[in-house]
Amino acid sequence: MTLKHGLDGYRVLDITQYLAGPAATNLMVQLGAEVIKLEIGPHGEPVRNFPFCRDGRSGYFIQQNRGKKSLCLDPKHPEGLDLIKRLLRHCDVFIENFAPGVIGRLGLDWETVRKINPDIIMCSISAFGQEGPLAEHPGFDYIAQAYAAVTDLIGEPDRAPSMPMLAFGDVGTGVHALTAIGYALLDRERNGAGGQWLDISLLDTYFHHHEVSVQAYSASGGKIVPHRSGSHHYAVGPSGIFKAKEGHLMILALLHQWPILCRAMGREDLIEDPRFKDNDARMANRAEMIALIEAWLQTLSSDAAALEVLEKARIPCAPILSVPQAMAHPHMIERRTVRDIEDRLLGKFQIPGMPLRFSKYEVDENIQAPLLGEHNEEILKRLLLCPPEQVRDWERRKVLFAKAV
Amino acid sequence: MQPRHVLDGFRVLDFTQYLAGPSASRLLVEMGAEVIKVEIAPGGDPTRLLPYRKNERSCYYVQQNRGKKGLCLDLRDARGRELLERLVATSDVLLENFSPGVIARLGFGWERVRELNPQIVMCSISGFGQDGPLAELQGIDIVAQAYAGVTDLIGEEDGPPALPLLSFGDVNTGVHAVAAINAALLNRTRTGKGQWLDISLLDCYYHCHEINVHAVSASGGALAPKRSGAHHYAVCPLGIFKGSRRWFMLMGSLHFWAPLCRVMEREDLIEHPDFATNEGRCARRGEVVALIEGWLQAQNDDDGVLARLQEARIPCAPVLTVAETIAHPHFRQRRTVRTIHDRHIGDFDIPGMPLRFSDYPEITELEAPLLGEHNAEILAGIGVAAEEIAALTQAGVLVGGDR
Repeated sequence: MTLKHGLDGYRVLDITQYLAGPAATNLMVQLGAEVIKLEIGPHGEPVRNFPFCRDGRSGYFIQQNRGKKSLCLDPKHPEGLDLIKRLLRHCDVFIENFAPGVIGRLGLDWETVRKINPDIIMCSISAFGQEGPLAEHPGFDYIAQAYAAVTDLIGEPDRAPSMPMLAFGDVGTGVHALTAIGYALLDRERNGAGGQWLDISLLDTYFHHHEVSVQAYSASGGKIVPHRSGSHHYAVGPSGIFKAKEGHLMILALLHQWPILCRAMGREDLIEDPRFKDNDARMANRAEMIALIEAWLQTLSSDAAALEVLEKARIPCAPILSVPQAMAHPHMIERRTVRDIEDRLLGKFQIPGMPLRFSKYEVDENIQAPLLGEHNEEILKRLLLCPPEQVRDWERRKVLFAKAV
Repeated sequence: MQPRHVLDGFRVLDFTQYLAGPSASRLLVEMGAEVIKVEIAPGGDPTRLLPYRKNERSCYYVQQNRGKKGLCLDLRDARGRELLERLVATSDVLLENFSPGVIARLGFGWERVRELNPQIVMCSISGFGQDGPLAELQGIDIVAQAYAGVTDLIGEEDGPPALPLLSFGDVNTGVHAVAAINAALLNRTRTGKGQWLDISLLDCYYHCHEINVHAVSASGGALAPKRSGAHHYAVCPLGIFKGSRRWFMLMGSLHFWAPLCRVMEREDLIEHPDFATNEGRCARRGEVVALIEGWLQAQNDDDGVLARLQEARIPCAPVLTVAETIAHPHFRQRRTVRTIHDRHIGDFDIPGMPLRFSDYPEITELEAPLLGEHNAEILAGIGVAAEEIAALTQAGVLVGGDR
């Protein structure tokens, strides 16, 4: 048997919407799984209308939902709920990202689901987890980010914190969910352990990224207080964003790299200068240190020239690329970190690439985001042996929904 | 036998150092795998020296390396390499995060590794991937962040970009690696064959662009995402607002605008032509922000305001500091923050295990290894005689330390 990819043959019932859940199943599709996207009628996934839209088709929806099969129904209609329960018997994974408790009120809590299919892996994604004092609060990426002490660490010290303009939290949570689901499947294959329930949250995911702040604050007994410090790190340096001839450059020269940077700048005299001789001294004289480096950058003919000098000395550095610049970069194009796709309705455009690269499998790019309810008939016929007339009848009675959007 | 967790019985040979790789193998430990941390003599993982340190022990190192077994040896010595070849033959996963090409020069490129063990899954983590024009650059989190078009989107519009003070890139890349390793292991249960995985900081950062890439591309450049300080550039109200004493993250856009107006007792704004739509509010962002901040501050009761907003189901959060999270009852009840013990440092807090399985409780008894702590145990496990281990230690091929 030739497998298409690592998850070939696994079937996922996906009732998630917005971003964190769909990002998880987006990767599962690209790993070869069959994902049935269960959309709630009559309108389906809310992001089908998110900008940017062209001809009623959303780029946002397409990016996260390519290759999924759409089944659109009313889960509150008894016949709709019955269809979901029958499909659960044919699936390996059930994934949802409603607020805690909602899936239970729909009649699809873990106790019910495991009775229907003892081998299924159920994954619940939420903002704050399935229990605890915050569990009931409405949650989105930025809300969990603020609670996780992430927002507080971004921006100028004397101004409001800054919001990063991308969804680290949702996409990262999707990857965490994928990871947990995959290992629960592996457990089932090896140990025959049956299914289990996974509880993945935005808050846990964000907090998981604190590599320094939590342990340093805790172990120092509160002496080290992490705080936002604009373009430069508060505790180590030089490490940050420096004004260069044309734009800004990211430069780091920690520990043994400081003398190398001094030589690259033609300032060997700074190596033994008591103001800069070690990290503590450089932090005490941070403004002077930054001014020296920025003054040197101004003497060079261009940012590219500065990067050349720094890269030659193996000093970690980078231009601060804008999104359009990153998209046009030869490395992104050669590695397909940015890739071209074509949607039936929206046409050609670009999205981020598949971040998981396997030596044995190519990414299948010939996949389309589904129209609403596009696979109603195909799924119900193949898995539940429902005749087409029955599907038409359900569509007439608004148990199922389909629309070419 | 009841397995301890999902990866009970799997062995991982872990050549990684610093953060992205160790954060991947840390999750593998927490899911029950045996992780052999190969450290390069004489000093081992450079993060053993990173602050904050107490009793000559780094909290940074401890956070990422609990439960791993320490094997410290001279990688350039033929005898050291031979021992590693034997360990490759008995492992399920090989993990490395050197610059591209280095692992092959050390004698463990994919072609050699698969000869030694056709079933092994090898995962290479790097800054920019194993090929392409940028492959040779150093794999540093914020360097990849800048190249990924991420740094440019953080900070005040009229100032330089701001540096986020946590490791989105490294830890997130570690999780991506763990996910890819899983798919390859699942695949192996059916094909019997391993494969090589190429995971990079750049790819993983770029993967988090949920809007920006397709918006620029599909709009033909008409949409240009930009950093805009405390407030979103295209959605209003969505951002960080000053209360009477603390900052709040608040989202009052979409269907949250009407309930927000009602909580503020400004029902007149719900259908007001200037404020009813997102476009209208974005055009008057200054007014909207002033309105909300004026109301927040007039209440002079941040806790009460938060409770009222949350009761109205408006997404809202206090912008907590790290210290506040550590003390927060939700974090404690869920073990999102947990207290661990180290032999030399004592008790301190680290972030919790983000993957929660109903069938397996968290593995709590984990200690970060001393340098080369498990040399003898690991090598005895593959049949190396005690005298040989002693001789290799004498010769400096195997190295140990008291921290």
